Amino acid sequence: MLSLNWHRALSLFLLIAPHALLGVLAVILYKRRFFVYVLYELAKFFPLFALYSVQGVSGKEYAYAYCVTLLISIVLRFGVIDEISRNLFRESQFLRVAARRSLQCVTGLLLGAGALLAVYAPGGNSAKWYAGIFVVNRGAAMVQSGLLLALLLFSRFLGLSWRRSAFGIALGLAVLTSLDLAMFALRAAFTSEAAANFLDLLITGTYLVCVSIWIGYLLAPELELASPTVVAHDEVETWNRELQQFLKQ
Amino acid sequence: MEQGASTIPQAMISQAMIAAWILVALAFFALGILVYIAIRSRTRQVDLEKAVQAFRSLDIEAFRNLVDSGEEAFLRNNLLPKKFREIKRQRAWAALIYAREAGRAAAALAKIGQAAQQSSDPEIAASGIQVTENAFRLRLQTIGACLHLLTEIVLPDLRSPSLPPLVDQYERAAETLFRLGRFSSRVQGSVRPKSA
Repeated sequence: MLSLNWHRALSLFLLIAPHALLGVLAVILYKRRFFVYVLYELAKFFPLFALYSVQGVSGKEYAYAYCVTLLISIVLRFGVIDEISRNLFRESQFLRVAARRSLQCVTGLLLGAGALLAVYAPGGNSAKWYAGIFVVNRGAAMVQSGLLLALLLFSRFLGLSWRRSAFGIALGLAVLTSLDLAMFALRAAFTSEAAANFLDLLITGTYLVCVSIWIGYLLAPELELASPTVVAHDEVETWNRELQQFLKQ
Repeated sequence: MEQGASTIPQAMISQAMIAAWILVALAFFALGILVYIAIRSRTRQVDLEKAVQAFRSLDIEAFRNLVDSGEEAFLRNNLLPKKFREIKRQRAWAALIYAREAGRAAAALAKIGQAAQQSSDPEIAASGIQVTENAFRLRLQTIGACLHLLTEIVLPDLRSPSLPPLVDQYERAAETLFRLGRFSSRVQGSVRPKSA
């Protein structure tokens, strides 16, 4: 009985805390990019929480509502990733073409892998319809985390500078989708009630971690770039000297 | 028959379990990379000294010689096949190290160029755009060059064209950076950082 109460208390905390933080995030992000996604995540919480709390609502009805909102979240996350990549490559004409083409290839590969995974490993032998939704989310999480990872690695490899806020959003979303991939892979394979309850707690817990990452990065001050205008005269001269020597060789 | 029917769901379950644990491993591998990127992003300042050293270490003529197709043809015609393969592998390794260092220098150039784009001086900002574009091109070309050279190491008998665009791109990037440095030193004292 005591453990049941603890489970309930922890579930409530993990449900409410990230959404309270999302409210703070919505205020910080007001009318900025990513605001629509945050607003949607916040808006979907209230009806879902009402369904979760009301006694007369069956588990099946809650599952329907949860799955519909989850599918919309998946679509919106793709929109956020697209916006991040557009924003990242905005200033370079060359990258707009080259990087986006590379990302399209990565997307194609990931979609192929996701489809193969859905066909060859469709989850446990549960006949429950929402197990299929978990498989869809597992595939989407794989594509999204792969895309974000490719974006972060690609930009690091090229020496592309991120704005701190955009980096935080990408990083938080990448952590969220990576953990979603792990959790929903397990959720699709382990369908017992005990496993489902435990994994649900982990899923809501990871959401709290990711919202904290977003807030942390959005509130942190922007790092000053090593601009040549603030580099000492001697240092620029060193560059000139080195390059002159280099070009004379 | 009954045994056969029960074997199929068992196989499916174990397949699902294997897939699940592989995905968990992949997810945690991705998380490891993300943590690494997050930690490294905290040290974002470009180390000018290191970038200068990277440039100093690059002998562009030596690189040009290492990837020269004429040199390769000469070696092919004058050496025994076994000796040629050995020499070609060594040359390709050396060129690979050059290409990798050129790529690192390009990444440093790109960061400096992006910082320059934020300058209030239009000349520095315009030069910054050029540096960044050239650095990005050079960086991507070094990837192609590295793959090309790796192929040469694995398959030394394969006849391959030389790599002049990489050398040209490197020189173009260096030249625009030189121009940027000249602008910066000229306007020194009259330009303040944007945040000031």
